[in-house]
Formats: sequence, C-alpha cells, structure tokens
Amino acid sequence: MAMTMTDSYDLPASREVVWEALNDPEVLKGCIPGCESFERTEEGGFAAVATVKVGPVKAKFKGDVTLSEIDPPNGYRISGQGSGGVAGFAKGGAVVKLTDAEGGGTTLTYDVEANIGGKLAQLGQRLINGSAKKLADEFFDNFRKAVEEKSAA
Amino acid sequence: MYDFNFHRPKSLRKAAAILAENEEAKLIAGGQTLLPTMKQRLAAPSDVVDLSAISGLSGIELKGRKLQIGAMTKHYDVATSQVVREALPALADLAGMIGDPAVRNRGTIGGSVANNDPAADYPAACLALNATIVTNKRRMTADEFFTGLFDTALEEGEIITKVIFPLPKRAAYAKFRNPASRYAMAGVFVSKRGREVRVAVTGAGSDGVFRLTQAEEMLSKRFSEKALKDLTVDPDGLVGDIHGSAEYRANLVAVMTRRAVAAA
Repeated sequence: MAMTMTDSYDLPASREVVWEALNDPEVLKGCIPGCESFERTEEGGFAAVATVKVGPVKAKFKGDVTLSEIDPPNGYRISGQGSGGVAGFAKGGAVVKLTDAEGGGTTLTYDVEANIGGKLAQLGQRLINGSAKKLADEFFDNFRKAVEEKSAA
Repeated sequence: MYDFNFHRPKSLRKAAAILAENEEAKLIAGGQTLLPTMKQRLAAPSDVVDLSAISGLSGIELKGRKLQIGAMTKHYDVATSQVVREALPALADLAGMIGDPAVRNRGTIGGSVANNDPAADYPAACLALNATIVTNKRRMTADEFFTGLFDTALEEGEIITKVIFPLPKRAAYAKFRNPASRYAMAGVFVSKRGREVRVAVTGAGSDGVFRLTQAEEMLSKRFSEKALKDLTVDPDGLVGDIHGSAEYRANLVAVMTRRAVAAA
C-alpha cells in the first residue's frame, strides 16, 4: 500500500548545524526509533537495522539508505528499502528541505512517499498512517534534542 | 508461530520476575491481540507469561460509589454482570459490543487497556469515567495512563491488576462499528458526575483515544442533545483510511456524541 506524509518542524539551530546533523550517521542512528546500527557502506550509502515496535507488532527491519539530490545546506532526498522478514517490506523516500525560519532557527520540511507490502500492509492497514506519524514525531523530537546539543556546543 | 517459553506463574511477584529476567517476554491475558499477531509472525516474544493462574485478578465488586473490575475479567462477564448492569449499565453495554463472541469470552479489560488499541472500546470508558488504573506498582488516573497510539504510562514489568470506575450520574456509549471487524469507526462515551462532564472518543483519533473538550464545555452548561446543536468536529488529527476519510469520521464523532447524550 502506498503512503504519503508531509510535515514540517522548527529547529532551534542554524541551517548549517541542521545540515551537518542530517549527514551524521551517529546523529541519525541516535534519532531513528529502535535503531540498532547505522553504518556507512562502500557505495556511499548507509546500512541500517532498526526494530519497529507498534502495539503488539515488533519487527526487525534491515535495509539500505541512500542520499541523493544533495544540495548543502538546503536539503536532500533520502531513500531506502528494508525487509522485515515475514512481516513485510517497506520502500520509499523523503524529500527533506531546510529553510530559514521566521525569527531565527531552521524550518525542516519533509515529504514522504513510501510503499509497504507483505503482512504488515495486509493486517496493519488501519494502523500504518498513525504509526508512521508517531515514528516520525519520535524521530524529530530526538533530532531536535541532538541539534540543540550541537548548537550549544 | 515460532518457539517460545510458556510460563504460568501463580503470583504477581513471580510474573514480574520473569518479565525482568527476559527482555523479550510478553504478558498474555486473553490473548485476543497477542496470539493473532504471533500467528502472523508479526511478533515473536521469547517468553509468554500467562496471567490466568494468579488468583485475585478477576472479579467485579461494588465498593460504595466505586466499581472495581479485576484486570483478568472477561468482556462477557462485564456485559452480563448484574452488578455492572445496575451500577453502570453503560459499561455493561460497551462490553457487550466488543468484537465477536470469541473475543468477548477470552478478551480481558486489563489486556484491552494495556494494549490501548486506537479503536478499542474500554479506553473510551476509562477516559470518560476518569477511571483509576491500578498496577502491581501504583495507581494512575486514565488521563495519566493513556499516552498515545498503543502507548500507555505502563513501565517495563508493570502489570495491571484492576480498574476502578467511580459511578457517574449519567453515562452512555454510542459506537459506529465497522461491520467486518466490529472495531469502532467512532465510539463516544459520555459521562456526567456532579458538575463534571467528560466525553471520550475512540476509533477516530490518529493518536488513539482522546477527550472531546469542545463537547464537554457545551454539555457542562446543559447536559442535553440540544446543547450540542452547534457541535462540529475538526477532521485534523483524525484517522483517514479505506473505511472512511477523516471528514467522515469527524461527522461520525459528532453524531455519536449526540446519540450517547440522548441515551445517557
């Protein structure tokens, strides 16, 4: 099933600081909910392992993440695909844009398009949108903290 | 299903100890959510801890103006209890509307509340009646307990033991259910106790059960359907899926609120 999600977050840091954080595997690893590893691969992308837990469902996803359309410090496209074994698979990407926020700081806007298949999609249909939003909120709460720390340092 | 270790402890303390020793352990009450999830291999706990052999976890008791329901009490028992029927008929009605006969005969109030499925019925009753959720460690009000989609204030290793409902003066539950799953597309529980009016909505919020404060304010002035004549619900933050758009659900919530007040 296809899923789209668009939202924006205001972050209390300059565009350069936010951009640096968006390209730092350690920061991303710390922010992705349930992320166990996030490492640079030889091809210039990342290999990630994350456990997704929503209600009774718990699935470990292994996947590849690549960055493209890189335009520092204004944004990039982050795409990935992952397999959660029998639970299903997910494939998709997000366009991330950074702009100066009114009154200082940076506004991060994202536009996600993803496809989810397998049992997760069959059974989880009524839950996927809410869960995706919740995971995104969790990511950006963590990301905001990381950026604040970087900004203070 | 994958292999797992099955435990059937006789005390809460033992159950908590097993949870503490095994990070991937899961509690099982009626199993109406966990078992289907495990069968589909969407969850594979290393250990399953069955609560059914622990005494004192089920039963219904009226204590003064409070109704106490043990966590392992099945929906069928709440729906057919003479005590609940007389003291809090809205809750008996709600329990009788949950799922299908299999779910009602196996599923438990503690399981439903702990899972906090965004379309489950009991969370709406708990929130609208301002129930107290009691665990092996502490007591929490429903406002503190439900923290979002499938999220509760329960900590690792915490086990719900009972739910206590203060008796309202008036209460009712109106549910528009999906004909296939019997999950609420929108379910609204209203209650009035003293001067306090509470309205809780399940099935419609993308972050799970929530209070419809706008309707609460209208009903605090006058508890009648007429007080809701200008009620319109904002579709922002509501679920849109193949069963109905957010706008459709917003309308359903308003309609169900009116029906619940008329029935209370």
